[in-house]
Amino acid sequence: MSVDQRPKADEVADADSHSPQAHWRTVVHAITGWAIWQHPTARVVAVVFSALLMGLVISVPLDLQGQILFSLGSFAAALLLSKTPGRLSTLAMIVLSISASSRYIYWRFTDTIGFTHWMDAAFGYGLVLAELYAFAVLLIGYFQTAWPLQRRPVPMPADVSTWPSVDVFIPSYNEPLEVVRQTVFSAMSLDWPQDRLHVYVLDDGRRTEFREFCEELGVGYLIRDNNHHAKAGNINAALKVTHSDYIAIFDCDHIPTRSFLQVCMGWFFKDTNLVMLQTPHVFFSPDPFERNLDTFHRMPNEGELFYGIVQDGNDLWNASFFCGSCAIIRRKELLEVGGIAVETVTEDAHTALKLSRLGYNTAYLEVPQAAGLATESLSGHVGQRIRWARGMAQIARTDNPLFGKGLHFGQRLCYLNAMLHFFYGLPRLVFLTAPLAYLFFGAHVFQASALMITAYALPHLAHASVTNSRIQGRFRHSFWNEVYESVLAWYIMRPVLVAAINPKLGKFNVTAKGGVIEKAYFDWTIARPYVVLLLINLVGMAVGVWKLFSSAGDETTTLVINMVWTVYNIILLGASVAVASETRQIRGTPRVAASLPAVIRFENGRTLVCKTEDFSQHGLGLAVPPDVDIPMGSRLAVSLFRSDEEGVFPAIVTFSGKGRLGVKFDNLSLHQQAELASLTFARADAWIATWGTGQRDKPLRSLKSVIVIGLRGMGQLTATAFKSLKPLKSR
Amino acid sequence: MKVVAVVSAKGGVGKTTLTANLATALQHQGAPTVLVVDLDPQNALGLHFGADPGALAGVSRASLSGDSWGSVCQQSPSGVHVLPYGVVNEADRMAFERHLEANPDWLALQLQGLDLPPDALVFIDTPPGPSAYMQQALTAAQVVVVNLPDAASYAALALMQRLVHTYCTPRPDFAGTLHVLNQADGARQLSKDITRVMQDSLGDRLIGVIHEDQAVREALAYDQSVLEYDTHGQAADDLRKCAQVLAQRLGLPLAGAAR
Repeated sequence: MSVDQRPKADEVADADSHSPQAHWRTVVHAITGWAIWQHPTARVVAVVFSALLMGLVISVPLDLQGQILFSLGSFAAALLLSKTPGRLSTLAMIVLSISASSRYIYWRFTDTIGFTHWMDAAFGYGLVLAELYAFAVLLIGYFQTAWPLQRRPVPMPADVSTWPSVDVFIPSYNEPLEVVRQTVFSAMSLDWPQDRLHVYVLDDGRRTEFREFCEELGVGYLIRDNNHHAKAGNINAALKVTHSDYIAIFDCDHIPTRSFLQVCMGWFFKDTNLVMLQTPHVFFSPDPFERNLDTFHRMPNEGELFYGIVQDGNDLWNASFFCGSCAIIRRKELLEVGGIAVETVTEDAHTALKLSRLGYNTAYLEVPQAAGLATESLSGHVGQRIRWARGMAQIARTDNPLFGKGLHFGQRLCYLNAMLHFFYGLPRLVFLTAPLAYLFFGAHVFQASALMITAYALPHLAHASVTNSRIQGRFRHSFWNEVYESVLAWYIMRPVLVAAINPKLGKFNVTAKGGVIEKAYFDWTIARPYVVLLLINLVGMAVGVWKLFSSAGDETTTLVINMVWTVYNIILLGASVAVASETRQIRGTPRVAASLPAVIRFENGRTLVCKTEDFSQHGLGLAVPPDVDIPMGSRLAVSLFRSDEEGVFPAIVTFSGKGRLGVKFDNLSLHQQAELASLTFARADAWIATWGTGQRDKPLRSLKSVIVIGLRGMGQLTATAFKSLKPLKSR
Repeated sequence: MKVVAVVSAKGGVGKTTLTANLATALQHQGAPTVLVVDLDPQNALGLHFGADPGALAGVSRASLSGDSWGSVCQQSPSGVHVLPYGVVNEADRMAFERHLEANPDWLALQLQGLDLPPDALVFIDTPPGPSAYMQQALTAAQVVVVNLPDAASYAALALMQRLVHTYCTPRPDFAGTLHVLNQADGARQLSKDITRVMQDSLGDRLIGVIHEDQAVREALAYDQSVLEYDTHGQAADDLRKCAQVLAQRLGLPLAGAAR
């Protein structure tokens, strides 16, 4: 079911009870089991003592040698801890990381900003503020992710008559029917008492083909006479004409598994104050990052950290929030907050915030029970992130979680970080250009020696890296966060700042899905900011090299440090450029890799037992014995199974090679399409296999992969530039 | 020694084919000794093992003449021991059946007389519907009922139930009726519906669903078991799975799947 989020050391300890890891665990259990910890006074004393000690560690000034020795000791402790099992070690690493970073920031403020020149001050304060932002996000991030709740599904009561009624809402605006139909089929096959399951398509596009499709299937079709407030308004209009106790909401391209309701609803019985339960969004097609960088299912994607760790961490603080799809909300309380929030463009998170403010519980269940299409193009992906960023900034402005009633401290911090997170645009751009201030203008943004800077900054960065690597392990690889942020920074910076100034400005944009990228191309428009930044950094690098050989003098160390930083920035920007190189996407409907039992029945009555390699709503890839010869164009029937159930689907062979067979379904009736959906996309186990099962993070390996992609990006850029210059030359 | 009678209330359900293929599958999967006994005057079982359909020798003739079963036993190329019914004239057949009616434990005694090892498996093929042969089989063996996914077969379940109740239930060693659904067809709605009803009503007593497959008919014409004739086919796959479940239910150890 859900992923084992624990570090590798725990697996070692489980496997071998004589390992040092297992011994460590025994000792830790013994110490944490001491009765003294149960004593309130002892706890207070321990906290006060630790806080004083921490204050001392943060603020005591050391000379270069002392700082180096101290940092080495601290970092060695962190590396040792990273080899030990258990959450106590994780917490200890967090404490070490926080003290290293706090020490850095303290030193930064007390020792490095005595600027004497206005230019140094301008660049210097800019960088300090950006660092302060990163420090705040680091601290709140630790708070948020230190102890993921790892909630498990609660079984439903045996007495089916007590199960409540559920309305399934599938809002759609401009997505093609092709995309929506799978979701409808799967929603219809949800395992739930049929008299208490009502599926509705909420069609804001008011399209005839949608109405006819719904009528033919016998599912509800709801429209309204305006499009006010987009998806939120659409759902609110539907709330007025439907009546079930619970609402399950699926974006029209998120296909639920048939077990969705039975897996999720149990918690509402166990916790009667629970009003919203969210499950992860997983995607069976690669997002633009994964497609263009070829990392699909090999590297955790941009969203995985959020659904793998952050939401689960929020859950501990009763602050997991609604993400617009793949969630269940109780109607009564939803109506109590006035339906889905319409004041901001991230109506989902805002609705959850309102529910939390009224004292209701929210939950996150880390079991993938639905999957969807990722955005097809980078521009679409960026557009979606812009909307999230703008919406979160709007909430921060209009309904700031730090203030107002109803929330406890943990909830305030978790919501705050959800919003603060999207303000990374400007700070990231500052980091991407900071060393240039020195290389171009000779500005001294740090009023300290280069070696001191290294001795303080390096531990800060290294601790954060190893600690986050342990926490995030399977859901985010080191340095990739920087790549994701670098790509999006420029684009989300402006809308976030605009929304922070005037939350009313800006428009809702819907992300188009289900498209085809006919030809590989380089998206110059979207890449322009990184290309410019990359060129500036390259020039800065050239300037650095020139200075190094001409007039470095006594500032060689400073120069080298700035150049190393610039190289890192060049790599990040190169990787960003690589993302903009859109690779060809062949299939309009993506195929999902899955090995399912299948049987082929030929026209002559003979049969062949085989397995699927992948499925889509239009066809199957089948693995067949290599000696079987099946001519292209043959008609056959393919059976798919789910325990005792069998569905038979007529198909035509479109590909026949050694051991592989491609078939296209042949004129399936609506009934057959629904049956196909229940045996493929709606399988309960469909998405669990690929969730969080990737490699664990290894920071150095991860750095290497980012470097490789950064170089590739620069290669692609050069090649594209030459190609577009050629026609000019020949003219 | 495990003895399994393959029975049905209705004719044409594929009992003989199923008996032959299950026996062969179990032989392939490493059952130490597999013996099939044809108690059906059609004398068709031997055909599935490459026996000469015109050969006179068989259990009917041997029993009438007082010869031992061992003298008429043959071994098929796959290793299954086969006891055909044999060819007899009408008078002899009636005499044989009268003999069976007069001696209800004839089959049990004959099997004991074979002195088979404890891990031997014996299949008894029977004619459809109540008969002296079925009565003998039900008295001596565990029962596998073969059904088709049609209304008639479903309706006939009750008759089979009564017969089992009369002859088997009182026996202390009787482990409960097992069922196989033969010639299922996922493309036909009626077949799917009845399959579902049988799955629901029989639960784990349904030990296998064998799909309709042209290869089953072709295999007989080519003098092969369907397992050899079309090893990747659905029927072959279903039969292998069914054989495994049967072995497990009977507590029969398999030396390891040969294929």
